[in-house]
Amino acid sequence: MAFEPAKQKYTGSIREVVLGTGDKAVKIGGRSAYPFYTFEGEMPNPPKVAMEIWDKDPNGEWSEVALEPFKDVVSDPVAWAKKCVEEYGAEILVIQTKSADPNAENKPAVEVAEVVKKVVDAVDVPVVVWGVANHEKDTEVMRAVAEKCAGKNVAIAPVEEGDYKQIGAACLGYKHTVVASSPIDVNLAKQLNILLNNLGVPENKIVIDPTTGGLGYGLEYTYSVMERITQAALTQGDDKLQQPIICNVANEVWKCKEANQTTEEAPELGDQKTRGVMMEAVTAIDLLLAGADVVVMRHPEAIQLVKGFIEKMM
Amino acid sequence: MKLIGENLNIMSKKYGKALKERDAKTLQELAVQEAEAGMDYIDLNIGPAGKTGEELMSWLVPVIHEVVDLPLALDTSNIKAIEAGLKAHKKGRAMINSIMVRPERMDALLPLAKEYDAEFIGLLWGPEGMPRDENERGALCAELLFRASEMGIPPERIYIDPIQTPVNVQQNQIMSALNFMKMFPDMAPGCSSTIGLSNVSNGAPEHLRPILNQVMLILWKRWGMQSAIVDTFDYELHKIARGERPELEALVAKVEDGEEIDMASLTKEEQDFVKTARVILGHTLYSDSWLEV
Repeated sequence: MAFEPAKQKYTGSIREVVLGTGDKAVKIGGRSAYPFYTFEGEMPNPPKVAMEIWDKDPNGEWSEVALEPFKDVVSDPVAWAKKCVEEYGAEILVIQTKSADPNAENKPAVEVAEVVKKVVDAVDVPVVVWGVANHEKDTEVMRAVAEKCAGKNVAIAPVEEGDYKQIGAACLGYKHTVVASSPIDVNLAKQLNILLNNLGVPENKIVIDPTTGGLGYGLEYTYSVMERITQAALTQGDDKLQQPIICNVANEVWKCKEANQTTEEAPELGDQKTRGVMMEAVTAIDLLLAGADVVVMRHPEAIQLVKGFIEKMM
Repeated sequence: MKLIGENLNIMSKKYGKALKERDAKTLQELAVQEAEAGMDYIDLNIGPAGKTGEELMSWLVPVIHEVVDLPLALDTSNIKAIEAGLKAHKKGRAMINSIMVRPERMDALLPLAKEYDAEFIGLLWGPEGMPRDENERGALCAELLFRASEMGIPPERIYIDPIQTPVNVQQNQIMSALNFMKMFPDMAPGCSSTIGLSNVSNGAPEHLRPILNQVMLILWKRWGMQSAIVDTFDYELHKIARGERPELEALVAKVEDGEEIDMASLTKEEQDFVKTARVILGHTLYSDSWLEV
């Protein structure tokens, strides 16, 4: 008797969501099998790497390793964005609105939104605007961003249970995409999607952010929750979880101690650059295997590794 | 099913205060209400109660027995308080709530159960914490029964509690506890069983807790659970425990057996029971809005 490999039975698929507009718009999701299980179902849109920029100069907050490729542009978000797209071929751009952080610079919402608007206008690829996870400040900033960027279909993150009404309504009004963010909990991820649906946000405008833990800092929790989301969506036909997933990888990986210690400080951990790049790449690849449709990354060499991985897997 | 009323609890704002202030009247009113609601036992949950536990339990047991004749479940991790409660318990047979399957707990509490001929709840919580599946539950249960039988405690004094977890954090543990329950009668002939039912709805929106508790009770009942620690004032739940809602029991059994259900033909209450059974059994993923989707 010939060998018959066991096949998973699927009862649902992930919805397609379009980020951005025009020729460079990016379609994500659409998968009808587990990640990269192309022998069991369709994976029409390969996962994407999004490149992140900050809206403020990260000198002093980033290690030399992360800073080095962008040294010439970090003080100018527009130039930085263009470098990511033109030089590194970024297909999606994420702008982290770090300048808005009420515990640091606390730049007024209108000024933050101005810079975001300039960046969005300067590139033709889709943009994700990622806030600081402070409900009040994000609400102010994202309302202004939504209005100024009307018609661009930006994705706005993180939209949480505490601010989904305000930010969700702004996204709804100006036809942007919502990144629904929940604290590493499958039940809460589902609940937030239900609440957004009830608010009127259409299903093709919702992307899930399960909250990312970096390698050594809770990656396995994020991994498990993403597995459960994927299982519910694909094998239990749970239509409230059939949304693509985005993981904010770089922000988590590069803030941890081991990614930033120099070779001299931690010789037992090996070369600093290799270490940082590998930590970012490994975190991203793990999350792709768990079902991420977009991974947000920073270092061009880590990005190359991950893109190479995706190509080989498809 | 026998019911153990859970409301006299140190965590309750009203009764916690009454316990601290030794306010007998408030506690006695509750005890009378519990008896009138048809409870078979009254749980006295005084928390760990540190240094005052012994004195508190010695005071509380006669205070409650002044107004009701029900047996009392002495619910504390404080061994001295348990012993004080056993000494003071003069009406019927007291219940120890609970004895964990940890050597130091069994060493201290099983002799008391024997000495006072008390009933006890054997909580399947081992040296490494919560059992991971039905087999670990089985192993802990066997160990406890062995120790009890060695001491000459008859099985009818023992109520095994396989541990109720909340549906919104550990749904898979509900499945292993249910699976344990299916093997329990063969494993422990003559023993009873009980469950801290309300924990299934811990963390769920307050107004939706009763239906989770009710459906969970139906599932336990189906697999032979003999008693439960419950909200005294959930009268719908009591009807289920008394077997007065056979149509709902049949419906939940259909869900558990994976039968097709024509939702359109059901009443709103029946639909809600089906949806709730599905989230408890993991057919669909729990969210706070589970009844609306």
